[in-house]
Amino acid sequence: MDAEPIDKGAKTSPSRPVDARQRVATMSGLETAPVEKTEPGVVPSFGKWFRQQLLRILLLLPNFILLIVLLAVWQFASKVWIPSIDPYMAVLMPAPTTIAVTAAGMIVSGELFYHLMASLKREAVAFLFAACAIPLGIAMGWWRLAYNQVNPVMEILRPIPPLAWIPLSILWFGIGDEQNEFIIFLGIFFPILINTIVGVKNIDPLLIRAARSLGAPERKLLVRIVFIGALPQIITGVRIGLGVGWMALVAAELVGANSGLGFIINDARSMLRTDTIIVGMLAIGIVGLSIDTAILALGRRLLPWSLAMRK
Amino acid sequence: MGRLAVNGVSKIYGESDASSSVVALRDVTFEVPDNHFCSILGHSGCGKTTLLNIAAGFERATTGAVMVDGVSIDLPGWRNTMIFQDYALFPWMNVFQNIVFGLEMKEVARKEREDITRHYIGLVGLEAFETKFPHQLSGGMRQRVAIARALAVQPQLLLMDEPFAALDAQNRSFMQDELVRIWQREPKTVLLVTHSIDEAIKLSDCIAVMTSRPGSVKEFVRVDLPRPRDEDDAPYIALKRKLRELIRDDFVSR
Repeated sequence: MDAEPIDKGAKTSPSRPVDARQRVATMSGLETAPVEKTEPGVVPSFGKWFRQQLLRILLLLPNFILLIVLLAVWQFASKVWIPSIDPYMAVLMPAPTTIAVTAAGMIVSGELFYHLMASLKREAVAFLFAACAIPLGIAMGWWRLAYNQVNPVMEILRPIPPLAWIPLSILWFGIGDEQNEFIIFLGIFFPILINTIVGVKNIDPLLIRAARSLGAPERKLLVRIVFIGALPQIITGVRIGLGVGWMALVAAELVGANSGLGFIINDARSMLRTDTIIVGMLAIGIVGLSIDTAILALGRRLLPWSLAMRK
Repeated sequence: MGRLAVNGVSKIYGESDASSSVVALRDVTFEVPDNHFCSILGHSGCGKTTLLNIAAGFERATTGAVMVDGVSIDLPGWRNTMIFQDYALFPWMNVFQNIVFGLEMKEVARKEREDITRHYIGLVGLEAFETKFPHQLSGGMRQRVAIARALAVQPQLLLMDEPFAALDAQNRSFMQDELVRIWQREPKTVLLVTHSIDEAIKLSDCIAVMTSRPGSVKEFVRVDLPRPRDEDDAPYIALKRKLRELIRDDFVSR
């Protein structure tokens, strides 16, 4: 039997869950910035909030010294040093300012947005299909028979990298959205499946007993207790899955697409537009990070209890 | 409604004829009248939790049966609901949602289940905490939620597995008084497992004293003291001495 924390800090209960959240957030190592000190429950005045944000940014500035130095060196190398050796080589290493100008141009023309949307649409469609890993994972975590039967199949398929499916998938689906989505689907599916199984198996058996003792039939038990109880772990699976899927997406678009961020960088290669390549790469990175951050924030918002439970 | 009859319950783990089998319970028999509070008192390992699990429907008796109003208990459900030592509140539900859960499972109409839930939140004194989540509550408050949640489904038999063991001494004593108050307001047939003699005397109408290896009822003691019970009263002290000796015999003999 695991002991519950008793009474400790109960008198300060309004602040306690928040503290726990902050602690977990910093421990998880997923934060690059220090955790905000304002309590989400309390709405501070705008002036105070603004000053706090400003202070936070100012305090973060020293962390960017190396980055700024590197950018300056890069700028110098691209604009002065490399051209002085061989003017033709300069094209291989566009300067940060050149990249910024190209990026601005691609944003204004809508080109970047068009390809970004194409990629995001593929990721979203693939995710919708891959979400079937959630009910499958719950079934495998709950019924031994389902686990014993399905697991061998999954264990054979799982270690095959999504990219290894590209040749076969091109023959199956041709070049285009379906083929891309299939590759992304493979990237998303397995992390969700495995995390769902683990989430179901890790639910406190006492909660299952309590629900049964209150008269919960099997179907309601699965929806109200097992699914919700596994949800924090499922969300972790979704985060990992979308990350893997995003990587697979770019690879799939490199070889089999005529739109999307992966297509941009491959297409630009044939025209020696290294600035466009780097804009595409940065866009891929920034969007990947944004997706991850958004899901993490969503999980925190929807499941505050799960963060408070972890010690 | 809720006359409890434990009829010759035995529980053997492993094959009954194998030498490795363990007899957890042997021929446990006693009866608890409707709306009486009964404690099972014994050392750890005497099979009292096994008996409770059988009464809750989590385990099956090898022979014999636990009956409520003449109907044998086979499965867990609201008729024989259990309150756990570690509360087992659903962490993603607030106080109200936790308490209303059993009524939703019972498919009580919305209006009615909300009224019932409010009633029990009031009975355990948590009106101000309806929307708080379990992790925001103290141990004593969590146990109140667990009690309200179990009472809300109107069980015929209420089972409690050392419900106050996780609380500190002051809280435990206070919660025992609270339980008596709640139980007097809404009498139920209760079967409570404890290893504390004081807890058994303070709460119960009858006490089944169990001995171990194999677990069996050594003596079924009736407690006829008026409530609230004073630890310094002569009959209380006499009863305590008697129970202590019953239990100590068990210790010496093993």
